[in-house]
Amino acid sequence: MNASMAASATRAASSSAQGIQRQSVITLEGIKKTFSSSGAEPIEVIEDITLDIKQEEFVSIVGPSGCGKSTMFNIIASLLEPSDGSITLRGSDPECGARIGYMLQRDLLFPWRTIIDNVCLGLEIQGVRKARRYEMARDQLARYGLADFADQYPNTLSGGMRQRVALIRTLITDPDLILLDEPFSALDYQTRLVLEEEIVTILKEHHKTVVLITHDIGEAIAMSDRVAVMTQRPTSVKKIYDVGLSRELGSCLKARSDVRYQGFFNSIWDDLDIQIAGGES
Amino acid sequence: MSEAQLHTHVIRAGSVKENDEQLAGNTLLSDNLWRGAGLALVVILWQIGVNVGWINSFLMGSPVGIAGEAWRLIQSGQLLNDTIATVYATVVGFLAGSILGSICGLLLWFSRTVARIIDPFMVALNGLPKIALAPMIIIWFGSGMFSKIMLAFVATFVVALLSAYQGTHQIDRNLINLMRSLGASRREVFTKVVAPATLPWIISAFRLNIGFALIAEIGGEFISSDRGLGRMIFVAGNLFNLNVVWVGVIMLMIVAIVLYVIVSQVEKRLLPWEKGHK
Repeated sequence: MNASMAASATRAASSSAQGIQRQSVITLEGIKKTFSSSGAEPIEVIEDITLDIKQEEFVSIVGPSGCGKSTMFNIIASLLEPSDGSITLRGSDPECGARIGYMLQRDLLFPWRTIIDNVCLGLEIQGVRKARRYEMARDQLARYGLADFADQYPNTLSGGMRQRVALIRTLITDPDLILLDEPFSALDYQTRLVLEEEIVTILKEHHKTVVLITHDIGEAIAMSDRVAVMTQRPTSVKKIYDVGLSRELGSCLKARSDVRYQGFFNSIWDDLDIQIAGGES
Repeated sequence: MSEAQLHTHVIRAGSVKENDEQLAGNTLLSDNLWRGAGLALVVILWQIGVNVGWINSFLMGSPVGIAGEAWRLIQSGQLLNDTIATVYATVVGFLAGSILGSICGLLLWFSRTVARIIDPFMVALNGLPKIALAPMIIIWFGSGMFSKIMLAFVATFVVALLSAYQGTHQIDRNLINLMRSLGASRREVFTKVVAPATLPWIISAFRLNIGFALIAEIGGEFISSDRGLGRMIFVAGNLFNLNVVWVGVIMLMIVAIVLYVIVSQVEKRLLPWEKGHK
């Protein structure tokens, strides 16, 4: 315990010492995405996204509903090519620059695999030997209090536990960038607050760079270093807020009760320009 | 309101649960009792009807006559031989057709082009009553058991293929994306996602195929064969020996139930994660 705290303290010190020189992990420059289907008018979903995310930073992308969040997600996750612009990834992978792990609203655990085999999925694909990957997985499961469930199937676990397993599966392959797409929206409010806290802590312990895509303003403020607010479709970055409450206060719950929280909330709400009661057609 | 009109009902902790468990056991027992009683009643009324002369035993057979024929056929060994022949041809054809069909259906996942091209042929073959192929298959493969195996094979292959292929189309796109993001090859996506995700579809095709294999096999025996329960029923029917027909029919029901139970057991083994869902 003490040793790991000391280690993270030195690491934090060294990273703050590097300060301005912290490397960017992902740079989006002038990303544009237009969907065209034969016969129909091409639909411009993303107009221009320019965003630079540094190492160990936690950045949230918040937008009004229907602003092309899933398109953004797919582009950042390299599952979809942008129509224009460029994405630069810098990390440990010699081929694609950086490896990206993600976590969605649905945990995507394989129902036919036990918890431990679900956790091992990425290691298995990377060709890690069975004994080694089981050891790593047991280690991580024990760390997050899930050791007793290692040999059970996912359908016996609660939603919150399944999301924890999904997070471990993402972390165990040690990706350079972690992409979260509304990972809590299927959970009840209390579980959500607990998991928010837990995930921020875990990700900080692992010194991960994180992008969270969400429509939940409160969640974004409570967890992030920076919040990028998007416009309606065709989407572009409207404003970027330097928040950093959870980093400063060391807790998402404390961030939520900080005096500055409501201020951020109000201005982001105004930026989103959400029309209630059918203002738009 | 007078006090006499107020009712009180207290449910104590534990009492309800116990009742539930008892109820489940009792229900099963009483259900089985009723089933047995109902069956016995039908058989007794049937026999009385025959004895009194209300029922023509020449056209309907009689319980006593059926039992007599069954005993004779068991003792001569004919019932066993015919049952073995039918079960053998059905099971071999069923397994070969269902397994090969499932594998082909799964492999179609690799090539959308091939799948698209053969799709209408598969649909046409699926709609065709496979028993219509029996005369041809018997001409090609003779009247022995091999032609029956082939019939059961043909009857089950297309069903298994289409079911497995459709199963591969129901897979959550996100699971495949997740595999891709982890750097999985197409082969890994197939073995780790496509095949296991399709397994429930394959098993349900297996269950359907028991029936289809038996229909094709018995149909083939009706047309031309030298042994089997179908032949036994067909020959006895032509001789108006209704008691023997009944023996064959009852034996076939037993065979179907046993095969069905076996597939259900295999399903539990192969799909352990579906425990508790049903």
